[in-house]
Amino acid sequence: MAMEKTVIWESVFDKALARAKNEKKFVVLDFFNPG
Amino acid sequence: MEAVTFPDEKVVAFMNERVISLRVAYNDKELAGRFNVKWTPTIVTLDGEGTEHHRTVGFLSSEEFIPSILLGMAKSAFDHEDYGLALEIAGELLRGYPSAAAAPEAIFLQGVCRYKKSGTPASLKEAYEMLSASYPQSEWTKRAYPYRLL
Repeated sequence: MAMEKTVIWESVFDKALARAKNEKKFVVLDFFNPG
Repeated sequence: MEAVTFPDEKVVAFMNERVISLRVAYNDKELAGRFNVKWTPTIVTLDGEGTEHHRTVGFLSSEEFIPSILLGMAKSAFDHEDYGLALEIAGELLRGYPSAAAAPEAIFLQGVCRYKKSGTPASLKEAYEMLSASYPQSEWTKRAYPYRLL
């Protein structure tokens, strides 16, 4: 599989948590300034 | 972070392979309120239940970002009393990023995890000795100071 060149961001909290549980991973939540 | 840290290929690989990356605007009413976010960038490490275990505020270079997230992962494992996993992740941090700002806390955490697993106070003293030898100015060396007497 080709390596992605950018971070794949989720934007929906509940979806991120569901993926974290399913994939047994942690969530890194970035609060950013969209400018 | 946007211009320097997140485009770094090591950060991209780490984020896409090891964690679920979630990005939310700082003024998101629900989430910024729930996590009491007042400044950016704020980076929070959560478990799958949405519970916070670690946060940083302010810029992190690519060299500091990955070890900071590893520390958050180790702290989450510790909070879930999975001391073996916490030790494994802290060890990964220290092997890969011994000069990172997160390293001293990882040594402190290792000492506590080893003590929790074995009940041996020497684990805490050993952590202090490692900290005082390698990171004498760290706040974590100061926090471990009483362990020198064990």
